Amino acid sequence: MKTFLIRRVFSSVITFIAIITVVFLLARMTGDPLAELENDPRISPATIAAIKASFGLDRPLYQQYLNYLFNLFRGDFGYSLHYKEPVASVITQRLPYTLALLIPSITLSNYLAYAAGIELGWRRGSKVDSILMSISMFIRSTPYFWLAIVFLYVFSVVLGVTPLFGALSPGRRFSWTLDSIIDYLWHYILPFTVLTLRGFLAELIYVRNVTVDILGEDFIVTGIAKGLPERYIKRRYVARNAMLPIVTVLGMRYAFIIDGAILTETVFSYPGTGRLVYQAIFNRDFWLLQGAVVIIAASVIVVNLAIDILYAYLDPRVRYR
Amino acid sequence: MMSLRLQNMREKLSEFWSVYRRDKAAVVGLAIFLAILAVAIFADYIAPHNPYQRVGLPYQRPSLKHPLGTNDIGQDIFSEVIYGTRASLFIGFLAAISGTLIGTIVGLVSGYRGGKVDEVLMRTTDIWLSIPTLLFAIFLVAVIIRTGGIPMFYSVILAIALTSWPPVARLVRSATLSIKERPYIESAIALGSSATRIMFKHIIPNVAPIILVEVVVRTAIAMLTEASLSFLGLGDPTVKSWGTVLHFAMIKNALILGLWWWFLPPGVMIALTVMSVMMIGRGLELYFNPRLRKY
Repeated sequence: MKTFLIRRVFSSVITFIAIITVVFLLARMTGDPLAELENDPRISPATIAAIKASFGLDRPLYQQYLNYLFNLFRGDFGYSLHYKEPVASVITQRLPYTLALLIPSITLSNYLAYAAGIELGWRRGSKVDSILMSISMFIRSTPYFWLAIVFLYVFSVVLGVTPLFGALSPGRRFSWTLDSIIDYLWHYILPFTVLTLRGFLAELIYVRNVTVDILGEDFIVTGIAKGLPERYIKRRYVARNAMLPIVTVLGMRYAFIIDGAILTETVFSYPGTGRLVYQAIFNRDFWLLQGAVVIIAASVIVVNLAIDILYAYLDPRVRYR
Repeated sequence: MMSLRLQNMREKLSEFWSVYRRDKAAVVGLAIFLAILAVAIFADYIAPHNPYQRVGLPYQRPSLKHPLGTNDIGQDIFSEVIYGTRASLFIGFLAAISGTLIGTIVGLVSGYRGGKVDEVLMRTTDIWLSIPTLLFAIFLVAVIIRTGGIPMFYSVILAIALTSWPPVARLVRSATLSIKERPYIESAIALGSSATRIMFKHIIPNVAPIILVEVVVRTAIAMLTEASLSFLGLGDPTVKSWGTVLHFAMIKNALILGLWWWFLPPGVMIALTVMSVMMIGRGLELYFNPRLRKY
């Protein structure tokens, strides 16, 4: 287990360095990082030269790269030209909103899909199965953001039961009072529902197919032949074996829900990291976008590492490979 | 000779159809898709107005003259949706083909060469997969726009192609690995065939069905990604795709004003198209992989 851990952590670090190298090279392809300043007639060339020197942009590329790496590991992700603030602080202000959305959503959608998917696979070919599969297929064919728009239209514009935008009513700050918690939840419910519904449907089909595969295995036939009760087979044989493939795709689901958060938060004007990505595009704030990519990629790597460790714990065979 | 080949093709086609049509969903999907394709081809005849011209007062409700009303600058929304079919299909298809091509090349080389090459390529694929696809595509479009040189229309296609290849590469690689071990490849090597010949003569024809299904499935996914990128404002604003129509609907407050005729139809069209393409993909998969036909 120990060598497995060391190897896995080491390869995560390599992956992270590879990603930031790619991001650095791509960013440098775009030319001068301070091009926006140069177009500003209010800043004199001497000032620009001084700013460039202070960022080390007059040095050779490899030195800039090392500098970049060094800064990243110190937590310096660059400077947002729009917010006039370090990228790290812009992002950390918004991260809690997104995490509070994503973590419960992933947990709930996976739990529900795990329970319902096994049941659905067990009843493959039945009416419930085919109806649910069709609904899920249609919803998964709609663009993520458009489904959010439809939800917002129906519940906020037509019915008027949920707010139109934001995470809190305007002019209000979050504090641990009952009032603001209710206000927060009131804003929370729609984006949360959209994210969870999509995650649930994607996972549901997957669990169902995994279950159908497992039901084709010989040990199921043996179990039935032995006369084991249905519930026992479902719980001990199917549910247990379905767990590994589900854990395997958790990392993918996490990456996918981040894409979902970018779109959902944009539609609901939810002040999280996802909407920040949209605002970075809108304001042409390239350095903020770059910082967000690096931080989000790092979080994906950490989540994948955690999943691999969980996997090794669930399936002892992995540790010795 | 020619007629014999023609007959052979016809036989294959009718054999394909007899299996394909057993899947009702796939037949419905094909019908919907052909209808949508016809809309794209005959847009000039179907659309009542030129979607790029102002043809009325802005923000009109649906009427006989403008079945879906007009947008914020007085363009006909119905015509926008009709013409949007063209751009959305074209971008989706081109991006899917390019992405599948990259993935196929990486997968073939990786699977056939093995060893160090395989390790490096698969490692790259894994790294690529650890950045969320849409976020990566957003970043790439931003990079391409900042660098300049490529028209905005193609920057979206390029970004989707560059982010969508890893799953294809993995699939093609594993197929190549299993084909490589078959006895007839060994015979070909023993007979002195070159690696390129084996690749083109024996491996590619055998992975071709997988690639075909992938192109279809990738088209559906690419259309969704294009819609998302355009919605976020990264598409070419001078070309009307369903995603750009939705982008303008959103930033011009169609939602809060309750103008459902502006933001609902483009989304329904995307959903219909994507679903029909996925159904076709599923039908093709059933045809090529008989083991799936049970359920």
